Amino acid sequence: MSAVFAYAWRNLARNRRRTAIAMSAVALSTAMIVLAVALIDGMIGGAVGNATNLVVGEVQIHAVDYVEERSFYDALDDPAHVLAGARERGVAASARSYGYGLVAREVKSAGALFWGVVPSDEIAAFDLAHHVADGSGRFLDSKPERKLVLGRKLARTLGAEVGSEIVVVVQAADGSLGNELFSVAGVLKAVGDSVDRSAAIMHADDFRELFVSDGRVHEVAFNTRGAIDLAELERFASTLAPDADVRSWRTILPMLSDMLSLADGAMWVLGAVFFTAAGLGVMNTMLMATYERMREFGVLKALGATPWRIVRDVATEALLLSVAGTVVGLIVGLLGAHILQIYGIDTSTFAGETSFAGVAFDPIWRATPNYYAAARAAAVMCAVAVITSLYPAILAARLRPIEAMRRV
Amino acid sequence: MAAIVDIKGVTKVYGRGDVAVHALRGVDLTIGDGEFAAMAGPSGSGKSTLLNIIGALDTATSGSVVVDGEDLGGMGAAVLSKLRRERIGFVFQNFNLVPVLTALENAEYVLLLQGVAKSERRDRVRALLTEVGLGGMEDRYPRELSGGQQQRVAIARSIVAEPALVLADEPTANVDSATGDSLIDLMRGLRDEKGVTFLFSTHDAKVMERSDRLLLLTDGLITADGVPSDVLQRG
Repeated sequence: MSAVFAYAWRNLARNRRRTAIAMSAVALSTAMIVLAVALIDGMIGGAVGNATNLVVGEVQIHAVDYVEERSFYDALDDPAHVLAGARERGVAASARSYGYGLVAREVKSAGALFWGVVPSDEIAAFDLAHHVADGSGRFLDSKPERKLVLGRKLARTLGAEVGSEIVVVVQAADGSLGNELFSVAGVLKAVGDSVDRSAAIMHADDFRELFVSDGRVHEVAFNTRGAIDLAELERFASTLAPDADVRSWRTILPMLSDMLSLADGAMWVLGAVFFTAAGLGVMNTMLMATYERMREFGVLKALGATPWRIVRDVATEALLLSVAGTVVGLIVGLLGAHILQIYGIDTSTFAGETSFAGVAFDPIWRATPNYYAAARAAAVMCAVAVITSLYPAILAARLRPIEAMRRV
Repeated sequence: MAAIVDIKGVTKVYGRGDVAVHALRGVDLTIGDGEFAAMAGPSGSGKSTLLNIIGALDTATSGSVVVDGEDLGGMGAAVLSKLRRERIGFVFQNFNLVPVLTALENAEYVLLLQGVAKSERRDRVRALLTEVGLGGMEDRYPRELSGGQQQRVAIARSIVAEPALVLADEPTANVDSATGDSLIDLMRGLRDEKGVTFLFSTHDAKVMERSDRLLLLTDGLITADGVPSDVLQRG
C-alpha cells in the first residue's frame, strides 16, 4: 500500500504549481468552512447563551394561564417543592415574582415590570448578576435593602444612576396602593428589549412587602448550562410540577430557535458552495494530470494493470491532495477561529447594539471553534475530492491500452 | 517445439467504407517456444499492428489468435490484463518507463501487479538489473539514465515475471548502433539462458541479421518467412 501512496505523491509532485493551486483551493475552502461554522456557532451560541444564561433559562415553569394573561394572581401552586426537587437533582433554579407598576425619579416616570428574586439563587443559576454595566453599580445584596437593579433603557428614561432615588408605585395584591422609595443599586448592560425597557429587579422580600404578595411565585427558571439535555430537563420539570405550564427556551423564544435552524440550513448551503468549488478545482487538476499521462496509463495497462488499479491510483492522488489541503485548511481555520474567539470582531462600529427576538447580541462577535464540525467538513472535503477525481480516473481506466498509448 | 503464438487468417481493418484501411489481410503465423524472431517491412506494412494483436493490446477484425494456449477471441478486459501481466512482456520503441519510478520500481512493476512480496520482488529485480548491466543504478530515475540504459530497464521489466513471450516494437530504434548491438546481445542471452521467446518488429538490418527467423511483411501480408540471410537475399 505504501508503494501506491509513494507513487501518488511523486505524481502530484510532477507539476508542483498546479498541485499547489489545487491544494490551496481545498485548504482555503476548508478554512472558510471551519471559520464560518465557528463564527455562526459563536453568534448563535452567544445569543442562545445570552437568552438562557442571563434570564430565560433552559426551562421555565409557570401557572397554566400566566404566560398568556400575565395576571398577578396566576401564581405557581407549590414553588418550594419545585425548587427542592431541582436542588436535589443539582439543577440550578431561580424563583421569580412579577408585578407591574410605575417608577418615577424627579419629574420623569415610566411603567415597569418589577421582579422579585432571591439574589443568591439568581447568582447561582444565571449570569444576570454579573451583567451590571461597568461603573454602574452592582447586583442586589443577599438581604433586602430597598434597592433596585434597572434595565438599561429604563434607567436612561428616568435619568437614573447608581444611588438615584426612585419612587415606586404599584397596586398590591390586596388592592392597596404600594408606594415606596427605593434607590438604584445597579444598571444592567443590554439583555433584550423587554428587560432593557422595563425591568426593575428587587429582592424577593422587598417584592413581597411592596406587593403584599404572600409569597406568590410566577416563574421558576431552570438553567443547567447544557449539562442536561433540553428534552430531559423539560420532562424533569413536568414531573416536579405536573399541573403547571412547562416550556423550554425554544418555545419561549421561537424566533431564536428558528434562527438556529436557519443557521444550520445556511451552513449546509455555504458548505455546498465551498465543497463544490474545491471539488471542481480537484477535478480540474486531476483531469489535466490524467490527460497529460494518458500514454503512461496505456503503458501500465499494457503491462497488466487493471482498470480498477488505474482508478485507484488516480483516486489516491486526489485523496493525498485533498488530505494535505484539508490539514492546512483545518490548521488555518481553527487557528483563525481561536484568534476570533479571543479577540472577536467589534460590530458596534457598524452595527451598533443589536438585538433579535428580544435577545441582545454581544457587540463583540466571537467565534466558537467547533472541532466536530471541522472534522466533519474535512471528511466531506476529502470525500468530495475523491468522488470528483473518479471521472478522470474512469476516463483513463476505460481507454484501451493501444488507444491510450497513441496519445501524445 | 510447442507453439507460443498461433494465429490464423487474422485481418485488421481501421475505419469503414471508402476510408477503410486494411492493416492486416489474412495473416497466418506460428512462433515456437524459445524462438528469436524478427518482423521487418516498410512503414505501414502491419508489423506494429500484428505485435499489438499478439500482445492483446488490440483486437483482430477477424481470424483467430492463440497465445501460450489461450484463445484471445472474446476475452474480457480483466482476463486480457491478467494474460499480459503473467504471460507477455513488452519492450517499446520509446522505452515507455514511468518517469516518477526508479529503475528498480519500473522493473518490478509487473511483480507488484502480480502481488509478489516486496522482499522477493526487490531481490529478483536487483539480480535482474545486475544481469542486464544496471547494477548500482537501481535508484536512478529514467531521466538520469541514457537511452540504452532505459531500454535495458524496459527489457528487465519485460522479462521480470518470466513471461512465455516478449514482444519488442523496434527496440533499437532510439539508441545508437553500438547500444543496439549490446541490447540484441542482452536479449539473445536472455533467450539462451531463460528460454524466453522474443518477437521483434524492426527496421534495423543488424537486428534482422542476428535473429534466428525473419518475417517480411508487405501490405498486411507475410510475404517471406525463413532464416534472415535467405529472406534478405530474396527481399
